[in-house]
Amino acid sequence: MPEKIKILYVDDEQNNLIGFKASFRIDYAIFIANNTTEAKKILEQHPDIRIIFCDQRMPDKTGVEFFEEIRLDHPHPIRILLTGYTDIESVIDAINRGNIYRYVKKPWGNEDIRAAIEESNKFYLANSMLAIKNTELQKAYTELDKFAYSVSHDIRGPLSGILGAIRVVKHLDTIEDMKEMLFLMENSVKKLDTFILSVHDYYNIQRGDLKISEIDLNTIAADLGDMYSMYTNAKNVSFSATVNQNEGFRSDEISVKLVLNNLLSNAFKYQRKDSPNKSVSLEMEVDKGIATFYVKDNGIGIDDKYRSEIFNLFFRATSQEAGSGFGLYNVKDALLKLNGNIEVNSVVGEGTIFKVTIPSK
Amino acid sequence: MSKYNFIVIDDSALDCFIAEKMIVHTGLCETVRCFTQASDALEYIQASSLEAATLPTVVILDVLMPMMSGFAFVEAFEDLPEDVKERYTIVALTSSMNKTDMEKIVSYQVVKKLLDKPITSETIITLLER
Repeated sequence: MPEKIKILYVDDEQNNLIGFKASFRIDYAIFIANNTTEAKKILEQHPDIRIIFCDQRMPDKTGVEFFEEIRLDHPHPIRILLTGYTDIESVIDAINRGNIYRYVKKPWGNEDIRAAIEESNKFYLANSMLAIKNTELQKAYTELDKFAYSVSHDIRGPLSGILGAIRVVKHLDTIEDMKEMLFLMENSVKKLDTFILSVHDYYNIQRGDLKISEIDLNTIAADLGDMYSMYTNAKNVSFSATVNQNEGFRSDEISVKLVLNNLLSNAFKYQRKDSPNKSVSLEMEVDKGIATFYVKDNGIGIDDKYRSEIFNLFFRATSQEAGSGFGLYNVKDALLKLNGNIEVNSVVGEGTIFKVTIPSK
Repeated sequence: MSKYNFIVIDDSALDCFIAEKMIVHTGLCETVRCFTQASDALEYIQASSLEAATLPTVVILDVLMPMMSGFAFVEAFEDLPEDVKERYTIVALTSSMNKTDMEKIVSYQVVKKLLDKPITSETIITLLER
């Protein structure tokens, strides 16, 4: 059941307050105050109050004055004035100045109040939805800007490399040179492909819905082991995965895999080329409803000064290997959706440990 | 025509290779050195500043690179002694179409020209003729 709509009623007459609360407490969460100072205190404590009813005639100040005062600090609640016909001039004035949403004539009937609450609630929801959409739109717009910026470098870069290579081939004399050129061209194509795949991931995290299911970490460990056997064989990096799962773990499998994949591929990629015992390990455990993952490597490490930036879109801390500057950004975004967390511990020239925690849903 | 020394700075190994081949192909090149990290190139320039270089050196500089970018390189280069700086001509090279970046890199006094990637022998020759 959804939470009850929170309503504040301000009136100097105690009887009205009691009557109001008695009539509506079943359907709504009612807060009452017999003066405006008390009302402001309640508003501070409950910023999620949606609707405020206020009597116009009170000894310390009028309802219109009260609404005008709180409007700046509490712009979101819908303001409704309770008043008799004699005050109609001030009511019209207040409505025109935007200080109140509507008014209810005194003495009020339960149906008038109920109708006012329902209408106000719709208005409140529409308004807050608009604010949320606006924030989302602003974020999407900023990211689109970054995208447009990176497109020229990250897509055109590899392409211009391949184009340049095709022209150079005309001037090459030896097979060895051509082979080297082809190898470099292949890397350029891979780079472009990685970028496009990351864009795809990015889009999926942004727009995709989570599909929560029971996840077996042993299966994931086996899948990842298969996937990275290419690295362990060809590049001489040892890989170990340990699983300690004695209870269920529910989450979005695709997002969890995306997180582990990005961290592992980084761990494999950013090794010290001359190191004799390159190794990567993955430790997974589920305890008290929380899954914890450690991805450890003894690679190049991350310099302290880049630590705060590694999760930023398109940031790269090294020119070693092909990277798009997307991976860790996608990781952070996916974890945000899973309510998870990530910590990094790294020493340059010794290695890096990423610790990820994801609560079971 | 007289010959030149070349330094290529680009984080992409392929782009370095292309530039090197195109430079050699002009027939105007005495030596060419490639660096995939701008900081290494800077160290090289600082170290070789001790011995008097005989030939003027053209530096082909990529703009967008991780760690030390083309901008950071140019700023560090500007702090070098005058008699070192005058032996080098910096030419920026980028695939970026971002106006802000392009305007920024040519705004440095030491950057003589901005070229679009990929580089060709013809553009290098035209460059050297001027």
